[in-house]
Amino acid sequence: MHKKPLSKQIYDARWCYLFVLPCSILTGMFVIYPIGMSWYFSLLDWSGFTKEAKFIGLQNYYEAVNDEFFWDAFIRSFIFMFGTVPVKIVLGFIIAVFLNNQVLKLAPFFRTVIFMPVVTAIAIIGIVMTFVFSPFNGPANKFLMSTNLTSAPIDFLGNPDTVLPTVMGVYVWKWLGITMMYWLAALQTVPQDVYDAAKIDGAEGYRLWIHIILPIVLPFAIVIILVEAVGALNVFPLIETMTAGGPFFSSEVMEIYIFRTAFVTDSGTMPRLGYACAAGVFWGVAVLFITVLQGLWMRRTRRI
Amino acid sequence: MKKKKDLKISRRTVMKGALAAGAMMSAGSIPSKLFAGEFNIPDPLKPLPTTGGNMRWIDSGDMKGVFWKKLFPEYAASRGITIEYDGLPWKEINKIVPIAIRNGTVHDVFQLPIGMDPGVAVSEGWVQPWDDYIENIDEWLGAFPSGVYLPGVNQFNGKTYGTCLTANKRTGTCLLYSEKYMSEAGYDPQAGRMTYSEIRDAAKKITKNGNGQYYGWIIGGNQVNRWEDVVHTFGQVGGAHSGRGGFTNRHINFQNGKFQIASDQYMEAVELLLQLKSDGSAFPGVMSMNAPQARALMPQGAAGMIFQGPWCIGVWGRDAPNWKYGIASEPVPDGKEAQPLYIAEGGSNTFWLSANSTMGPFAGDLIRFMGTEQGQIYWAQTVGAADPAVNPDAVAKAGLTGPSAQALSMFAENILVGPNPIVRNKDVGIVAAKSRVPDPSLALVIQGLYTGQLKGVEAQLKDCNQRYEDALDKAVEEARADGANVTRDDWVFPNWDVYSNYGAEKYQEL
Repeated sequence: MHKKPLSKQIYDARWCYLFVLPCSILTGMFVIYPIGMSWYFSLLDWSGFTKEAKFIGLQNYYEAVNDEFFWDAFIRSFIFMFGTVPVKIVLGFIIAVFLNNQVLKLAPFFRTVIFMPVVTAIAIIGIVMTFVFSPFNGPANKFLMSTNLTSAPIDFLGNPDTVLPTVMGVYVWKWLGITMMYWLAALQTVPQDVYDAAKIDGAEGYRLWIHIILPIVLPFAIVIILVEAVGALNVFPLIETMTAGGPFFSSEVMEIYIFRTAFVTDSGTMPRLGYACAAGVFWGVAVLFITVLQGLWMRRTRRI
Repeated sequence: MKKKKDLKISRRTVMKGALAAGAMMSAGSIPSKLFAGEFNIPDPLKPLPTTGGNMRWIDSGDMKGVFWKKLFPEYAASRGITIEYDGLPWKEINKIVPIAIRNGTVHDVFQLPIGMDPGVAVSEGWVQPWDDYIENIDEWLGAFPSGVYLPGVNQFNGKTYGTCLTANKRTGTCLLYSEKYMSEAGYDPQAGRMTYSEIRDAAKKITKNGNGQYYGWIIGGNQVNRWEDVVHTFGQVGGAHSGRGGFTNRHINFQNGKFQIASDQYMEAVELLLQLKSDGSAFPGVMSMNAPQARALMPQGAAGMIFQGPWCIGVWGRDAPNWKYGIASEPVPDGKEAQPLYIAEGGSNTFWLSANSTMGPFAGDLIRFMGTEQGQIYWAQTVGAADPAVNPDAVAKAGLTGPSAQALSMFAENILVGPNPIVRNKDVGIVAAKSRVPDPSLALVIQGLYTGQLKGVEAQLKDCNQRYEDALDKAVEEARADGANVTRDDWVFPNWDVYSNYGAEKYQEL
């Protein structure tokens, strides 16, 4: 069959292209352009607000990979991810299983309660949590002291050993509701017939969940893990409001590191947007790599 | 078993205090009680445009905000314009102003981010000179003390680009204390400068007397600059003569041009902070509070001592008028005489006029008024010692009393003008623009030592000192590569007598 020339194909599909055009322009303006510019800026020695910007090739990247604080922040970001995502996934699943039970009359109420932190502004949560975990009459310490669990107040956010676990705990609490909703959506795709058939075949309790329900919702689990993992690598507002990366870098994740070098120099010298962009690009590629790996895993799971 | 008593200060009260302090810092919305409302704003020296308009103004707030919030409405009404004021912490200024400059939306009048070389602002065309907007500017400048307006600092190409209404003769680490707790501990800081041992002992006794309800000492430990400020100033008092200001001045001994971070005096100051912690005299949770939060806890009886600036006076005067506190000079190491502190020439709180501003006539008229003796008196009466008015006659006439007057007297006694490399060689400004504080900075090193994440005071300070030396060398090298005529010798002032002011004649001797 004679194939139409490309121009003719485009002309025939002109309405499709026209409708795609607005989205393409917006994507170009707000996604492609900033990504491209950050790649370009990462090759410059530039403070970000003077005309003077010197092309220095990959020197910023070289400096970043040789900076121990960069790697500390890099690793800390993954510690944060590996410390929060499994907890959220497992807890969210357990809660969803319970709240998916139609017999439980108060399920909508509990769903709402667990979901409420999700819709609360994260900066507000961050600030309020600094008071909750304050060693000076903070409710967390008051509880621990009144129950004799500790004899002296714990400086949750000021102690390098406790700061990251505390922020991770707040993060899990804040976003648990959305994980629960993902799982509920997944569980609700399982037809009632499957439950009925399983019961007839004698599969109940954990056997029902392990052998019947879990394989059905597994593809959803991959998507949920992917979304949660990327989410756990984007925790700037919570950490900035709770600790700003301190004390002495103990809670400095990559986003805080990038922010610190790009904008905020408490020590009173010029910021380094070029360097921050290099760190950001490096970080972006790392996140992309993880996303691709998870995507491949998802495809493989679907084939199974 | 006897149950430990709960602290009497409620969390709600702490939040309230911190919020009030924050509001003071950011917006200055708390009305002043120091003067009774109305300003006598003189007519402009020449007719102003009748088209009106909105003038936008941004600065670092604090007590300045308190003053502007009172003055701006009256001034705006008298000139038929509106004024939009944003008083924000430095951290925000450092973020907002550069972005606004880049976008062409910066305020009409603004402060440059910390560390920004004014020469860069001029050469980049972000600012315009005040000369066209301040009537009889030469006469007006002549009323300021010498050393406030200087080429390379706020004057460029024979024009005045930056205006200063306040002096930089102050410290941010005075000993502020609860009179009651200090007296119960058996100390009177007014009797003479306290030594490190006395501070430590007083802190121990206050903590003991507090029995878990209050502690000897408090600091806003998650605001890292507080650590550096304390060690820097205490080091100076101990005899580590060094400059103040940005990276190219701070911690540098101008007798040899070298950083003083690894000096014995700095080490002693760090050790004092660590001892206050190891003695159990530090308020629990200092690492998770900033300076305004720590300051807000003082009048609530949470701690006996804090090393802070005179800006506390205004805040406490409004939040806790009945609380009895005292202010005294920084402590001195045992067995030593207190040494002078140094400031660089020039004023503080420099205001710049945006190159895009069409409100220059009004901004110039307002700045001119504030530079007059009457304007300076108004300023001094409200702001007091927090940001001292630059005109000493006006300060004298403002009739300040109490801690404000005492703080100003202390500053006059303890602070001298030291050398300033940029006054000697304007190309030092290029170095300032190239310089980067190395990671971890001194502030963070001290914080790390305090939390125990870093070990060994001497080794850490020596490493830090070397990092600072290397960073300055690198900045000088980069500036030279860009054509700047500058060497590390520009930081060496062999004729610096540390017991006298370093004035224009000294620069000429070099």
